[in-house]
Amino acid sequence: MHPLLANRARLGAYLLGWAPLVALMAVLGASQGWSWLEAASLSLALGLFGAFLFLTAWYLCRALPLDPKGGLRAHAPAWIIAAMVMGGLWTGFARLLAWALGLLPGLHQLPVRIGPATPVLAVMGMLLYLAVLTLHYLLAAVERSRESERVEQELRVLARDAELKALRAQLNPHFLFNSLNSISALTTQDPARAREMCVLLSDFLRKSLRLGERPSVRLSEELDLLRNYLAIEQIRFGARLAVAWEVAPEAEQAEVPTLLLQPLVENAIKHGIAQLPEGGTIRLRAALADGRVELRVENPVDPDAPEPQGLGMGLRQVKQRLQGRFGAQAWVEAGIRDGHHRVDLRFPVEQP
Amino acid sequence: MKALIVDDEDLARAVVREHLAAHPDVEVVAECANGFEAVKAAAQHLPDLVFLDIQMPKLDGFEVLELLEADGRRPAVVFVTAYDQHALRAFEAQAADYLLKPFSKERFEAALAKARAVQGSRPPAAQLAAASRQGRPLERIVVKDGPKVTVIPLDRLDWVQAQDDYVLLRAEGKNLLKQQTLASLEAQLDPARFIRIHRSFILNLDRLVRVEQDSKEHREAVLRDGARLPVSRAGYQRLRELWEEA
Repeated sequence: MHPLLANRARLGAYLLGWAPLVALMAVLGASQGWSWLEAASLSLALGLFGAFLFLTAWYLCRALPLDPKGGLRAHAPAWIIAAMVMGGLWTGFARLLAWALGLLPGLHQLPVRIGPATPVLAVMGMLLYLAVLTLHYLLAAVERSRESERVEQELRVLARDAELKALRAQLNPHFLFNSLNSISALTTQDPARAREMCVLLSDFLRKSLRLGERPSVRLSEELDLLRNYLAIEQIRFGARLAVAWEVAPEAEQAEVPTLLLQPLVENAIKHGIAQLPEGGTIRLRAALADGRVELRVENPVDPDAPEPQGLGMGLRQVKQRLQGRFGAQAWVEAGIRDGHHRVDLRFPVEQP
Repeated sequence: MKALIVDDEDLARAVVREHLAAHPDVEVVAECANGFEAVKAAAQHLPDLVFLDIQMPKLDGFEVLELLEADGRRPAVVFVTAYDQHALRAFEAQAADYLLKPFSKERFEAALAKARAVQGSRPPAAQLAAASRQGRPLERIVVKDGPKVTVIPLDRLDWVQAQDDYVLLRAEGKNLLKQQTLASLEAQLDPARFIRIHRSFILNLDRLVRVEQDSKEHREAVLRDGARLPVSRAGYQRLRELWEEA
C-alpha cells in the first residue's frame, strides 16, 4: 500500500507541501506579465495534477530499493529517465490545461502564453519529480527501520518465550515417574539406596528450581546439576550408563545460559543410552577458546534406529535460546557420525 | 500361569517380580531387558501373561506385541510404562491393562485380575497391532523368523509381494515372510513412498527406474537392481497420478 495514500494525515501534509510550490508558480507567471487569474488557475490545476502524478514515484522507489553498499550510481539512469518521462507528462498536461482553460472567459490568452513557458515548465516538472522521489525514499527508509524494530521486538519476545519453555520442560515428568518407580523398587530391595535416591532427587529438584530463576549461571553450577541428574539416571540404568567428563578448569567459571545442557543430556539418555541394550558412555566436554564457550554432548546411538527427522524439541529450544541471546555469534551443530550423536555449542562468554 | 517380565530397567522388573511373588500360581519364566529377548523368550516359554514396557531398545513394546503370537495363541499383555500418552493405542491393541509407573499394590492386583480374565481366545496379534497403528505411517517392519527377529527400516525395503496369508518382503537382497495381508500392510505404509503397482505387489518408489511397455496391456517396472515387477493397468494409473502431482 502506498505510504501516503494509506494515511490521511500524511496525504494532507504532502498536499500542503505543494501549496508554496503552487504559489511560487503563480508568482513566476505573474512576473512574466500573466494576469493573476491566469497564473493562479493554471498553477493550482497543474499543482494538483503534479502532486498526484508524482505519487507514482513510490513504484519506482519500491522497484529499485536503495542498497546501502551499491551507492546511488546504479539507479541514477532509471531515475533520470523517469524524471524525463514525468516532466514530459507534466508539461504536456500543462499545455492541455492551458488550452482547456482558454475556453473560459477571462482566460482566453492562456494557450498563447503557455508557449514560451514550456521549457521552464519541463525543467520544473523534472526537478519536482526528483524531489518527490527523494521524499518517497526517505519514507521507505523510515518504514523499514520501524519494521526491523518490530521484528526485533518479536524476536526478543520469542527468545524469552523459548527460555521459559526450556525452563519448564526442565522438569520432565517421565524422568520423575521413572525415578519414583526406581525408588519404589529399592524400598524393599535396598532401603539405604532408596533413601539415597530420594535425597538425590530432592537435591536435583531444589537446584533446578533455584537455577531456573536466573537467566545465567556459572558453568560449574550447571555441571553440578548435571552430575546430580546423571547420578539419578545411573541408579535407574545401572551399568548401562557411563559418563565421561572433559571440563577445562577455566571454563567452569564462565557464565552460561541456565539449564542449557540439561535438555541435551536428557536427549542423550532418551535417544542414545535408553535405545541401546548395552548402554554406553555420554561424553561431556567444556572448554574456552578465543573468548567463547565451547560445549559438547556426545552419546552413542543405535545404528539400526531410524534417523531423527530434523532437530528435536530440546535441541531446537537450545538453538532458539542461544540465537535469541547471542544472535549470529551463537553456533549450534548437531549430527550423527561414527555411530555417535554429537551436539556442539559455541557462544561468547557472558560478562557477569 | 506362566509370566514374562519385559523392561530394560532392572529395578522396574524387580517391582513386578516382587508383586508377583505374592501369587504362587504365577511362575516368572523369564525376564527380558529388550524386545529381541522378549520375542525369543515368548517363543521358547509360551507365557500366558506378559508385563511389557513400551520404551525399550531395538523393539518397542508395540512391536513386541505384534510378534508375541506363537503357535496361534497370544498371551495377555499388561503394559507397564511411565508414559500415559500410549494408553489409547494400548487399548486399541487390546492390552489387558495399562499400568503407569510407579503403581500401588492394589493397582497391580487389579491389572493381574484383568489379565487372568482376558486370558484365552483372542484375535491374532499382527492384525490388532496393525489396527492400532491407524493414521500413523509405519517407520519399520518387524518380522519373526523362528526365534530370530528382523527389523527392516522402510528405506531398506525394495518391494512386497502377496503370498496367500503372507507377505514376502524384499530388502537388501534377502526375502522375508511375514504373516500379514498385503492390503493391511499397504494401509500402514506411507502412500507417497509405497505404491500398489499390481494386485500382488507394493513397490518402494525410490527403487523405480522406469516402466516398460512390452505389449499392449503388459507393463513392467524396472528397478535399480535390474529386477522387473509386473505393473497392472490400475497400478500404472496410480503411478501416473503420482507423477502428475509431482
